[in-house]
Amino acid sequence: MLQNYSQPLEFTNLTTWIDSTLGANLPSFWSIAIEMVLVAVALLAVYSLTAMILIYVERKITAFFQARIGPNRVGKYGIFQTVADVIKILLKEIIHVNKVDKFLFYAAPFFMIVASMLTFGAIPFAQGLHAVDFNIGVFYVTAVSSLGIIGVLLAGWSSNNKYSMIGAMRSGAQFVSYELSAGFALMTMVVLTGTMQLSEMIESQRFCWNIFNGHISAIVAFIIYLISGHAETNRGPFDLPEAESELTAGYHTEYSGLQFGFFYLAEYLNMFIIASIAATVFLGGWMPLQVRGWDAFNQIMWYLPSYMWFTIKVFLLIFFSLWVRWSFPRLRIDQLLNLEWKYLLPINLVNILVMVLLVLAGWTLNDIF
Amino acid sequence: MRTFPEYISDLFGGIKSLLTGLSVTWKELWTKKVTQQYPENRSTLVISDRFRAELVMPHDENNEHACTACGICQMNCPNGTIQVIPKMVETEDGKKKKLLDRYVYDLGMCTFCNLCVLTCPSDAIKFTNQFENATFTRGKLVQQLNKEGSQLRAKKPAAPKTQIQTPPKEA
Amino acid sequence: MEKLTNLIEKKFPNALHVESPKLTFSIDYKELHAFISFLHSYSEHPYDYLVYLIGNDEGEILSVSYLLSCSTNPSLEIVVKTGTSDRENPLLYSITDLYETAHLNERETYAMFGIRFINNPDMRRFLLNDDWVGFPLRKDYNMDPAINPVSIISKDMVDTAPRIMETPEGLKEEIINIFEADDYIINIGPQHPSTHGVMHFRTALDGEIVKKIDVHSGYIHRGIEKLSENLTYPQILHFTDRLDYLSANINRHGLCMCVEKAADIEVPQRAQYIRTIMDELTRMSSHLLAWSAQTNDLGATTAFIYGMREREIILDIFDKTCGGRLIMNQNVIGGVMFDIYADFQKDVKAFIIYMRDKLKEYDRFFSHNVIALGRMVKIGILSKPDAISYAVTGPAGRASGWSCDVRKHQPYALYDKVEFTEVTRSEGDSYARYLNRLDEIEQSLHIIEQLIDNIPEGDYCAKTKAIIKLPVGEYYQNVEAGKGLFGVYIESRGEKTPWRLKLRSPSLSLVSVMPLICKNEKISDFIGIGGSMDYVIPDIDR
Repeated sequence: MLQNYSQPLEFTNLTTWIDSTLGANLPSFWSIAIEMVLVAVALLAVYSLTAMILIYVERKITAFFQARIGPNRVGKYGIFQTVADVIKILLKEIIHVNKVDKFLFYAAPFFMIVASMLTFGAIPFAQGLHAVDFNIGVFYVTAVSSLGIIGVLLAGWSSNNKYSMIGAMRSGAQFVSYELSAGFALMTMVVLTGTMQLSEMIESQRFCWNIFNGHISAIVAFIIYLISGHAETNRGPFDLPEAESELTAGYHTEYSGLQFGFFYLAEYLNMFIIASIAATVFLGGWMPLQVRGWDAFNQIMWYLPSYMWFTIKVFLLIFFSLWVRWSFPRLRIDQLLNLEWKYLLPINLVNILVMVLLVLAGWTLNDIF
Repeated sequence: MRTFPEYISDLFGGIKSLLTGLSVTWKELWTKKVTQQYPENRSTLVISDRFRAELVMPHDENNEHACTACGICQMNCPNGTIQVIPKMVETEDGKKKKLLDRYVYDLGMCTFCNLCVLTCPSDAIKFTNQFENATFTRGKLVQQLNKEGSQLRAKKPAAPKTQIQTPPKEA
Repeated sequence: MEKLTNLIEKKFPNALHVESPKLTFSIDYKELHAFISFLHSYSEHPYDYLVYLIGNDEGEILSVSYLLSCSTNPSLEIVVKTGTSDRENPLLYSITDLYETAHLNERETYAMFGIRFINNPDMRRFLLNDDWVGFPLRKDYNMDPAINPVSIISKDMVDTAPRIMETPEGLKEEIINIFEADDYIINIGPQHPSTHGVMHFRTALDGEIVKKIDVHSGYIHRGIEKLSENLTYPQILHFTDRLDYLSANINRHGLCMCVEKAADIEVPQRAQYIRTIMDELTRMSSHLLAWSAQTNDLGATTAFIYGMREREIILDIFDKTCGGRLIMNQNVIGGVMFDIYADFQKDVKAFIIYMRDKLKEYDRFFSHNVIALGRMVKIGILSKPDAISYAVTGPAGRASGWSCDVRKHQPYALYDKVEFTEVTRSEGDSYARYLNRLDEIEQSLHIIEQLIDNIPEGDYCAKTKAIIKLPVGEYYQNVEAGKGLFGVYIESRGEKTPWRLKLRSPSLSLVSVMPLICKNEKISDFIGIGGSMDYVIPDIDR
C-alpha cells in the first residue's frame, strides 16, 4: 500500500541503498553496528541543526511581531546569527558557583538534554525515517519527555539561589499538572485510532487526518494538547519558571556557557518535539494530503517528499506557538493551575468520554463516509 | 460559586479576547517595521537641527572665531565642563589685551543644558547635531574648541540672537 | 479660614501665626502632635493630606515644616512649623500615626539633618546608609570625601531598625527586627529587571506569597538638593530633568514657575501655550512608557515595544523642538528656551490622529485580554483613605477615587482655560490604574487639540535679569507630573542661590505604599503592582 505512488525524492531510497550495500558487503553484526552509529550521528546532527534553525526562526518571527527587524548583522538577514551564538556559547567559561551542590548542579543540564534527545529519537520524521518504532510509541514519548523536569528541579535546587528555587518549584507544579492534560489529549486520539504505535497512527490517517476524523472531540483534544504542550515546554504565556520580569531567569539563573546552552537547546527542541507529536497524532505526520479516489491528485501530492510535509506541518504549529507566546501576558501560578484543574482537565475528561462514544457509535468521519 | 452558564460564557469570552489579541499581532506581522538601520542609513538619516550633541566654536574662512575669552560660559556652566584659558597680549598701541589661548571643553562632563550658548555675549559657541561622539578613551572627550592659530574676529556681530541672554555683570 | 484661625488661637495659644503667603503656624515641638492631630480631625474640612515634610537647617535651629492640605479640596493649605535648637541630639515628635506618608519623609529628614522622630516605628535612615558620617543637608556638613569613602566591599544586610518610643516611663530607645527569624527573604533589586531602576525591596516570602516588604532606596541618590544650594537658579534647572526623567519637562516647569512667582516674572502667553502643550506631550510619553513597562512586567514583551514605538514619535517632536529627547531643557525662567519649529503643529496633529488609533489598538490588544484582566483586576487594591494617608497622587491616587489633580484644583499655566476631565475610578486596583493612564492619554490629546491651533504670536521668553535673586521668603509650587504631584519648595535668603531647595517627589509616595498593597499578594503580582504604580527611582532618591 505504501509504495503505490512514485516518490522520487524520498529519503527511503537513500536509506534502503545504504542498508542493502552494507548488508551485502559486511557480516550482519557489523552492518547493524555501523547503521546504529550512523543513525545516532544523524540524529545528533539533526538535533543541533534543528535547534539552531529554530532559534533563528524564533528571533526573526518575534521581531516581526514586535515591529522590529530582528537579527540582521551576521550574514545576509542575519542567518548566521545562531552560528555565532553557538560559537560564543562554546567559548564561554562555565562559571563555577560557590556553595552549590556540585554533582547535582553539573548533572542537571544533562537530564534536560537527554530527555529531549530520547524523545527526539522516537519521532517519525518521514516515511521510513523513524529511528525506533515502538508499539507503544505514544506512551514512550510521554514518559520520556517528562524526565526533563528532573533536570529543572535539580537545577533549581542545586543552584543555591532563591530565585532558581522558586522557578524550579513553579516548574514542578506546572509540569506535573499539564502532563495530565497532555496525556489525556493523546489518549483521546489513541481511543480514536486504536493504536499506540506512531507509524500505525500515521498510516491510519492516510485519507483523513485524525483531527477531522474525530471532528469535535479531536479538535478539542488538539487545542488542549497545544495548550498543555506550551505549558510543558515552559513557553509563554506559561513561562513562569523562568519569568524574566519576576525571577530574572528562574531555574537556570546560575548557569553559564555550555550548561546554559543545554537548557536553551532543550527548550527549543522541546518546542519542536511538542509540535512534531501534535503533527503526527493529529495532522497525519509526514503523510501528504490524500483524498480517497483522487489518484492523480494524490500522485502530485507525493511529489513533495514526506519529510517536507512533516516540516511544513511542524513549522505551522511552531509558528502558532510563537504567535501565542508573543501576544499574551504571563499567567500567575495559581491561574495557571486553575486553568489546568478547573478548565482543561474537566473538559478533557468529558472529551475522552465523547470520543469513546463517537468511536463506539461509529460517528467518526471514516465510518460515516 | 458561579453558575454553569457563567462558566461557559467566561470560557468563550476569554477565548474571544485572546483571539482579538492574536489578530493585532497578526496585523503587525505584515506591517512595515519601524527599526532604523543605523549605520547603513547614515546618508539618509535626519537629525534635528536643534539636537545638542557637541559644543563647537565656529571658525570662519580666515580661521577667526568670536570668543573674547570673557569666561561667562565657564561661570555659567553648572558642572565645570568648560575651561577658558586666556592669554595677555600686548597690542600695537601698547595696551594689554585679554585674548583666548585655549578653550577646553570636556564632552564627558557636559549635561547639554545649553546655558553656555544662551549666555555667550558674542555668539562664539554653539551646539551641533554631530552625534557620533564615541571614543575609546575618556581623554579624547576633552577637546580644545579653538583651532590652532585662530584669532579673534575683528568686529563683533551685531544684535544678540535671543532675548534672555544678557550676560551676568559680575565676573 | 478665619474661623479655623480663631479656633486655633483659642485652643493653642502658643501657636504663633506667622505672616506668609500661606497660612502658617509655628509651634513648639511638644505641642506639635496635638496641633496636627487637631487639624487632621478638624470637622469642617479635615487636613488629612500631608503634601510635604521638609527639614531645614536655619542656622541655629533645625526645623521641620509640614504642608497640610485637605483631600477634598487640595487648594486649602496650612503650613505648620516646628523646630529644635538641640543640634547634638535633635528629637521631634513623629506624625506617622496620622499620615503614613510621614514615615519615609521623617526617615529621610533623619538621614539629611539628623533629626530623629519619637514614635516613628522604624527610625532607620532613608536614602543613606546607617554608617554615613554626618548629615549632608546641614549647613555645617563636612564634604571631605575622606570621611565617607567609596567602598566596594560588600556589606551584609542588617534587618534591624532603631526607634525611640514614648512610654509612661519616658523615652525608650530600642532596636527591633524587621523580619521574623525564619523568614524566606529574597532581594528584589537593586539589580532586577522589574524594579524600573535601582530600587531594592527586601521581600519576605511564604511560598509564592509576599509576607512583608522592606523598602531600601538611595542607590541613585545624587544629593541634588545639596548641590542646588551652591548653584544659581538657572543652573539648578538642569537637575529637574534628571529627577523623574519621564516627566522632565513638567518638573522643570514646576521649578521655573516657583522662581517666576518669587521673582515676579510675567511669562508671555506664547510661552504658556508652548509649556502646556509640551507638558501634555511629556505626560503622554510618560504614560506610554508606564503602559509599556506594566505590560512588560506582566510578561507581554510585544506590548512593551508597541508602546515604545508610539513614544518615539513624541520624542522626535521633542527632539525637533528643543534638541533633547529625554532630557529636554525646554523651560527656562521666564518662558521657554526654544520656540516651536515650523512644522510643530502639523506633526502634533498627525500624532493626535495616530495616537487615537493606537489607543484603540491597545484596547483590543491588552485591555480586555483575559489573562491581563486576571493579572490586574482586584490586584493590589489601594483604598481611598490609604491613598490619602500615603499621599499617593497622580493616576494611582485617582484610581482609588481621590480627585487630586493639581491641574484642576490649583490650575497653573493654561489649565484653567482648557476643558478636560479628571479621570477618576473607584476600584483602586492595578486595572483601574492601568485604565486611568490610557484615559489620561486621551485627555491629554484633547487638551492639546484645544491649544495647538491657537498659539498666539509674540515672545516666547520674558526678559529676565542676568542674575536672578529671589526676595527673602519661602516659595512653593505644585505641578501635576506624570506620576502625581511634584512640588518645588525654595527658601531664599535673598541670595542668587537658594538656602534650601526641596523637591517633593510623587514616586516616594508610590513606593511607600507598596508594602501595604502587596501584602499577601503573589510574588508575580508584586511585580505587576509595581508596574501599575509606575514609580521612577531617581525621582525618589534625588
